[in-house]
Amino acid sequence: MNMFSPHQFKAAAQEDVWLPSSCALCYSTCSILAHRVDGTVIKIEGNPDSAVGKGRLCGKGVSGIMTHYDPNRLRYPMRRTNPKKGLHEDPGWKRISWTEALDEIAEVLRKVRADDPRKLVVQRTTTVTASRVPLHAFASAFGTPNFSVSGGGQHCGNGAHLISGIMHASWSIVPDFEYCNYAIFFGASKGHSAGHASCSNMGKAADARVRGMKMVVVDPLCNFAAAKATEWVPLRVGTDAALALGMCNVMVNELGVYDGPYLQAKTNAPYLIGPDKLYVRHPQSKMPLVWDRRSGSARPYNDVSAADMALEGEFTVDGVPCRPAFHCLREHLRKFSPDWTENISGIAAATVRRLANEFATEARIGSTIVVDGVTLPYRPVAAIAFRGAQGHKNSVYNFYAVDLLNHLVGAADVVGGCLGFNPTSHGHPETGKVRYIPTAGPDGLMVVGSWMGYHYPYPPPEPRLPKNLGLQDLLVIGMTSPFLDSVDREEMWEKFDVPYRPEVMINFGANLVMSIANKDAVAESLSKYKFIVSFDLFLTETSNFVDIILPDCSYLQSLDARSNFPFIFSLPGGLGEWCWPIRQPVLPSDGEQRQFAEVLLEIADRVGFRADLNAAYNAWLNLEPPYRLTGDTRYSYEEISDRELKNNFGAERGLDWFKQNGIIKWKKKPEEVYWRPFVDVRVPIYWEFLKPIGDKIAAIAEPRGFKIPLEYYDPLPDFLPCRSHCCNKKDFDFYGFYYRDVVHTNSFTMENPWLDEAARLDPFSYTIAINRAEAATRGFTDGQRVWVESESGRKVKGRLKLTECIHPEGLGFAAMCGHWTDGQPIAKGKGVFYNDLLELDFEHMSPVNINLDLCVKVRVTPAEESP
Amino acid sequence: MNIRWDAVVDPAAVESSRAPPALPHPIIDRNSTDIRVRVQLFGALAALSSQRSFELVLSAGAFVADVIAILGERLGEIFSAQVVDADGVKRRHCRLFVAGYPIENLQTPLYPISDLTEIDIILLIAPEGG
Repeated sequence: MNMFSPHQFKAAAQEDVWLPSSCALCYSTCSILAHRVDGTVIKIEGNPDSAVGKGRLCGKGVSGIMTHYDPNRLRYPMRRTNPKKGLHEDPGWKRISWTEALDEIAEVLRKVRADDPRKLVVQRTTTVTASRVPLHAFASAFGTPNFSVSGGGQHCGNGAHLISGIMHASWSIVPDFEYCNYAIFFGASKGHSAGHASCSNMGKAADARVRGMKMVVVDPLCNFAAAKATEWVPLRVGTDAALALGMCNVMVNELGVYDGPYLQAKTNAPYLIGPDKLYVRHPQSKMPLVWDRRSGSARPYNDVSAADMALEGEFTVDGVPCRPAFHCLREHLRKFSPDWTENISGIAAATVRRLANEFATEARIGSTIVVDGVTLPYRPVAAIAFRGAQGHKNSVYNFYAVDLLNHLVGAADVVGGCLGFNPTSHGHPETGKVRYIPTAGPDGLMVVGSWMGYHYPYPPPEPRLPKNLGLQDLLVIGMTSPFLDSVDREEMWEKFDVPYRPEVMINFGANLVMSIANKDAVAESLSKYKFIVSFDLFLTETSNFVDIILPDCSYLQSLDARSNFPFIFSLPGGLGEWCWPIRQPVLPSDGEQRQFAEVLLEIADRVGFRADLNAAYNAWLNLEPPYRLTGDTRYSYEEISDRELKNNFGAERGLDWFKQNGIIKWKKKPEEVYWRPFVDVRVPIYWEFLKPIGDKIAAIAEPRGFKIPLEYYDPLPDFLPCRSHCCNKKDFDFYGFYYRDVVHTNSFTMENPWLDEAARLDPFSYTIAINRAEAATRGFTDGQRVWVESESGRKVKGRLKLTECIHPEGLGFAAMCGHWTDGQPIAKGKGVFYNDLLELDFEHMSPVNINLDLCVKVRVTPAEESP
Repeated sequence: MNIRWDAVVDPAAVESSRAPPALPHPIIDRNSTDIRVRVQLFGALAALSSQRSFELVLSAGAFVADVIAILGERLGEIFSAQVVDADGVKRRHCRLFVAGYPIENLQTPLYPISDLTEIDIILLIAPEGG
């Protein structure tokens, strides 16, 4: 039964209360106040006491009522009666009891666990951040390594989070809005749309613009961020690395501007590189060597004062010619001349020079500032990137090149610069929890202090013959993997002798058919599962492949003790406050809805692995005595939540305290926010570790007929074209790309009638943006219905929206519209399903981080005008 | 004035450069020279054999690494490969708790105490996106 029975809420009738909780309309998870009157939530506002949103709430957040009260919500468990699964097969849903549902699920899981637990795939949506721990704990306890987050990661995180982690010990990067004077955004909308810490960043970005921060937005489309920017720089889709490397070249080789002391003290720029592109190491200690200018000799980096480390020069060590990494980078950058950049990106050479000059000048290299009494380096410039820049085959180098701009001028995690958020926490003043600080790992390079999982970005694990279905144990830089669903997955599993196949899936809220790539590929993959159980709010397109549907509670009916933790995810960066909110149920469940986390506990009991699940919760939540879960005791999710809160904030601050107060907060220290001077770690401006990883992967893969393109594993970034850049097919003259619409979250919110109304009022949400002049030359008119066809013949249909605000070669789609399920009548038939144009195989992903290539060269042709 | 990056602050003067708070030290049994531990394996590790709980006796001066080595001998390479890498360093997604407290360094010493020292080991999921 649900832990919050309806009578508890009935007792509260005739109240007029505002209850603190957390939003879940997107993964920003802003803090909210729900206004409940006589048992009905009539309004949702931001919680001004919380640092997460600071009282602001976006249109999605205030519309959450409509998602909660949607009459199409699922209210009881259902089982399919039609054994045939397909995109357009009616499952023939039949209502069943929870007992029937859980009996069948437990029986299936008991068998598969006894056979081989790896045959279970656990899958979740990223929209509900707090779903991470219950599902990870369940999978870990069950014994499967196969976990996925649908399109999450494959579309953004594998690049953005990887490089943000390696270079900033954080999930993402933002300008230090309080102090930054010049920010350049590459395919990012931080502070202007959805995304991590969305509402908080919107306020910070607005204040920064009022203060006079110059904001340059590099993007094929002038929308959420660019429309508010000082300058929009339209670039050819997917060529971000070309511009960033062109700017780096101008700064270093034309202007001679870079922060030498930073590069010496905080990066691997002084490490000597041999002709094999690897570090020259001390013969005994194996430490990388630097050239000590004081002694005129090569010495281990940790034996030399940073000021004495040579950044340039040709040296010979034990007969091996070598140069500092910075010297290699500087030489490497010379090929990215402004004229070359113009040719690749379409941005004029003069603009490349001007942007580089502005960035270098505004960096104020060598300056300091006093913040809260602490003297700190001051570099008020930031270059940031996100989904747009890294959603390509060249994912790693695109993002790496952008971030090099920051590191060349020392603008990394210092006042005014590019900030990870929030890489260093000293913990609550009373308990010291939660405390984490980046540490120096192999070769002195930074290891994150906090991460979302245990696949740390650095150091990467040794590649090995893969045992995971996603092949991340071979392609070790990748996080989430397309190989669970790709059309070449079986071929890959056979090549590598993966000894089992997926049979059972537990899905939480993800609509895989729409959120990964073309529906046919994903449908084919899903149809192979013997059994799928899915926790959902609504029927989705993916439901057609599900055996048992379980009706989940909405966020207004749910409990989560850590709605915004880890702090590296959606707590705002910069100065301010640490803040730990909870999500609490403000409404009872309706019908037979039950919160998934509680159901997972019962499934573990029925299958017989509660002791493992308790141990997994102990590990995921870092519970220490006396709050650890013991043996196979049947704790409720509420009890586990209570223990976590007390573990972190003291015995007096358990769940009851948090239900009353909603949040706990404390002041950030300057040395937490601007941590880099205080932590003895270096970051790689030369990714030496990449080359041996590539070589080792190739040594395993190539004897089995799997060719690894090693040009993607070079230590220095390059512009390597996407498939779309190489397409010369006649009439295929647009680069299709998608962007995340400000009024929608993935495919989830399309069913919300208020957001649908807002999207219909927005000329772009449900249309295809095309450059007005380019449309005119082809005879296309505003509102015209067209087919958009990919090189491989995949087609989607939609209406054109003519605009001057898009690159002439671009074709822009708001993401993941185009639902066709009857289970979501508001969403059905609205907008264009861009992902249906995407291929799903190794050829269309980054060979390094296995991020999908999200741009497609397309042809646009008129379509019939029928609805 | 161009100020060197590494001259801006004195790392020794700030909290973040200090070691994290030490874990509670066990009450050592001076009358015993043996260390008795009970290791419990969870999740995927528990499926490696029919036995998931092990009581071991180690000599004074033993480290957590010694426990892992003994289990490696009993359970084989399949256990060791999942718990430690080729250099003998604990894998990050392998979480190991001694008396309820997390241990990252396998060279952490064990002590003779009057009761069994409980050691829990579990493999967590490595990747996560979003």
